[in-house]
Amino acid sequence: MSPDGIRARAKVLGAMRRWFSDHGYLEVPTAVLVPSPALEEHLHAIPAGGGFLRTSPEFALKRAMACGLGRIYEIGPCFRDREHGAWHRREFTMCEWYRAGGEPEDVMDEVESLVRAAAAALGVREPGPWRRTTVATLFAEHAGLDLTLTTARDLSGEDESWDDAMMRRFVTDVEPALHGAVFVADWPASQAALARVRDDRAWPVATRFEAYIDGVELANAFHELLDAGELRARFEAANRARVDAGEAPHPVDERLIGAVGRMPRTTGIALGVDRLVAALMSWDGIGAGRVE
Amino acid sequence: MYSVSDIRKGLKVEIDNQPYVVIDFQFVKPGKGQAFTRTKLKNLITGNNLDRTFKIVESLAPCDVTDVNMQFMYADAEGYNFMNLETYDQVSLPAEAVGDAKNWLIDEMQVNVLFYKGRAINIDLPNFVELEITYCEPGIKGNTATGTNKPATLSTGAIVGVPLFVEQGEWIKVDTRTGEYVERVKR
Repeated sequence: MSPDGIRARAKVLGAMRRWFSDHGYLEVPTAVLVPSPALEEHLHAIPAGGGFLRTSPEFALKRAMACGLGRIYEIGPCFRDREHGAWHRREFTMCEWYRAGGEPEDVMDEVESLVRAAAAALGVREPGPWRRTTVATLFAEHAGLDLTLTTARDLSGEDESWDDAMMRRFVTDVEPALHGAVFVADWPASQAALARVRDDRAWPVATRFEAYIDGVELANAFHELLDAGELRARFEAANRARVDAGEAPHPVDERLIGAVGRMPRTTGIALGVDRLVAALMSWDGIGAGRVE
Repeated sequence: MYSVSDIRKGLKVEIDNQPYVVIDFQFVKPGKGQAFTRTKLKNLITGNNLDRTFKIVESLAPCDVTDVNMQFMYADAEGYNFMNLETYDQVSLPAEAVGDAKNWLIDEMQVNVLFYKGRAINIDLPNFVELEITYCEPGIKGNTATGTNKPATLSTGAIVGVPLFVEQGEWIKVDTRTGEYVERVKR
């Protein structure tokens, strides 16, 4: 916490809200206390009041898209247990926005424009130019591996799942080498979460990208999955993985499964606001902008 | 065993039968992956750096390293010789183990000698040492310009950059971590 840090955060929040308003996005505050948090194996929701503190506003905002809104956003607190470090807090500020009819490349353009607006509000140099690349390209560059042909043992030498080995190698060799502003697309289909999977690449990949500034993961975007049956199957698979890992399964959000068929083709993105401020200000963590 | 949450700068651990010290670490958690702690480790024998990433559930083996305060006695063909001032035990370290620290070692200097499984493997110098300049070009009196340096040879043979006003025969304080001049000292 520092006065300059708090001022910087306020400038970025103001610039973001102006940007969303200028681009036709409606601010939609959704419930912080929810019955069904994210089911992903590696997200740990905090139980509260008979439900959970949300790990992200994703489910609620998708239901808002299904009721006929075309461009919506929310900025607010989210909670993930067991996360603490220079760039992590149990409570942090997330910004998510959803848009009907867009393509992932359009969302990349939006991130570039939004980050430029935030940098201008702070009076700092904007990061960029942005590089648009893929996970497999970065593994070839920084680990000398063809990711599409690797086994878990090639990746980490440990006895673990392919996804764990891939992530371990990513955070060891690739992430620290990501200088400047980079979009990383085409994540393995096994890490799709709620993104569509596409089969027009050399291997099945999620239509999903991450945005990085100087090795800090800033945002994650999906071309949203709209198939209710597939959504239920992914929720059930995630709950099985939770149980296998010794975690409690979470209630499946039936309201979202019921609504997803009414959603238009949608792109969605979640961006860490604390991290955006810190990355633009060249801080070595998110603490300076937060009052905790 | 240490758990990953025990990781701190300076923690000494054993990996693949080699002793390492943690020089940096960070909690990382990719949005769609599990939590890791990314570490930068230094091999205490070779001095080489190693990047290793641990899952939060993993554990690390402590390493059998002790450090003993000893006095530098002399260097000979065999290596660098140190004595424990309490027990009078002596050990000899090969030049590779002493590494760049030799630039700052003078007789009777007290250092920490690291022992791994009973074998002396490395030394830890004080952060600052005071050494005599045995040769440099004559000083320019009153020239306190910063940013301009001249080379000065120290009693250990090491060469460091010093400001123009510093004279041969003077003593200076050097930061052993960076090898840089800090200030003149009166002796």
